[in-house]
Amino acid sequence: MAETRSDSPANFVDSSVVPGDVVLDISSMANQTIKLGSGLRQDCDAIVAMKAGKLRLTKPNKYWVESSQKRYVPCVEDSVLGIVVDSRSDNFLVDIKGPALAFLPVLAFEGGTRRNIPKFEVGTLLFVRIVKTNPSMNPEVSCTDASGKAAGFGPLKDGYMFECSTGLSRMLLSSPTCPVLEELGKKLSFETAVGLNGRVWVNAASPSTVIVVANALMNSESLSMVQQRIMVEKLLQNLKLSS
Amino acid sequence: MEIDRIDERTPNQLRPLICSRNVLNRAHGSSSWSQGDTKVLAAVYGPKAGTKKNENPERACIEVIWKPKTGQSGKLEKEYEMILKRTLQSICILTINPNTTTSVIIQVVSDDGALLPCAINAACAALVDAGIPLKHLAVAVCCGLADSGDVMLDPTKLEEQKMKAFTYLVFPNSVFSVLPEGSLQVEGEPVENGIITSVTQGLMSVSFKFVQVEDYLHCIERGRAASAKMSAFLRRSLQSQLPSDTLKAG
Repeated sequence: MAETRSDSPANFVDSSVVPGDVVLDISSMANQTIKLGSGLRQDCDAIVAMKAGKLRLTKPNKYWVESSQKRYVPCVEDSVLGIVVDSRSDNFLVDIKGPALAFLPVLAFEGGTRRNIPKFEVGTLLFVRIVKTNPSMNPEVSCTDASGKAAGFGPLKDGYMFECSTGLSRMLLSSPTCPVLEELGKKLSFETAVGLNGRVWVNAASPSTVIVVANALMNSESLSMVQQRIMVEKLLQNLKLSS
Repeated sequence: MEIDRIDERTPNQLRPLICSRNVLNRAHGSSSWSQGDTKVLAAVYGPKAGTKKNENPERACIEVIWKPKTGQSGKLEKEYEMILKRTLQSICILTINPNTTTSVIIQVVSDDGALLPCAINAACAALVDAGIPLKHLAVAVCCGLADSGDVMLDPTKLEEQKMKAFTYLVFPNSVFSVLPEGSLQVEGEPVENGIITSVTQGLMSVSFKFVQVEDYLHCIERGRAASAKMSAFLRRSLQSQLPSDTLKAG
């Protein structure tokens, strides 16, 4: 019942895989280092897929399964939007849509000392960076970048936050800039913070702009580049007619 | 042997399968699976932090809630929940997210025979939709044994009531593999020749004595052949729906 390919393992790259597919046989690749990203695990001499999605390869040796979910798997150096759930004496508990709550140390702010600990209420939206993740421990986040500067991290005031899938977040953060953001940016003025965990925050001067931008981003998930531009044009026309 | 089935199928023919994913807005993963008139909706929430008291904190825990179409949950629902929990525990990789709970909620929309296999298929598709790491997929079929000794696949409710015995069988799916000798082997046999779960009801013969027909082994054979087709259907329906011109992450 198993279909075998007699060609090289590059055959599965860029094609859809389901859990259980053996995508790579490493017994024939001695003395090489292969990096496995999300969605793949090693089972003796074979690399097996754990999630359904497209198998991707970046040369020379990094393989991963690209898929889009509503929950998030924490990775180091990702910037995410978290919501404060509780505060303890030495760290805040932040929900980042992952399997466990993240800890934000009370001193992990630019110029943070024991004397100027920020007071976050339950429900505050924070833009944070993931510092440490371990399989069985709570991830640790921080409001500074690697060199200790604030760099845009911290609480987000006003604006509107909505949830989306991780695939849409990655698309919005891709370079070159995704067509939706480009087209909206030509006509409207707004600011966004995109978290890789499937949360997006939008802020603008007037509520109608915020609504248009949020709707455009939510609708753009399954559209191709051309369709995205057409959709944004239509929304902007409606905005001009009503204002 | 010609058998007259009510809906004029051959004994080895399955009912039309329909599967859709991401049907529920708030659930982290969801799917709806229907075989003919039997339809089941499955929703997956998780992984969420924390496990129940009696569960091992070094592994992930799977919790199943079965909601019948009408009436309150009773012993039959508890039995289905237990069977489903054991089946899903064997296909999920439980060591990846220790001390978390994944909840699977099954809602019966309509029941026309082969309800438990339909629910298992729906739960498996919902787990994939939620991105829970799995070892492989599970494909479930129902085989019934009529009084005349003929094996029929995927019986409707009327056929089930008339049968001498029936069995629900859950197989691993057939995998694509780059290994030359096929997929991973366990003790010399390919993994997909195994059975994950088997639930039987009624009277079936297994032994060789008195030159009897081994009905149970016949059921397994037919079920395995059907599972290959269902496996291909499941793979097609799990294909990614993202547009092909995705931009590379910066």
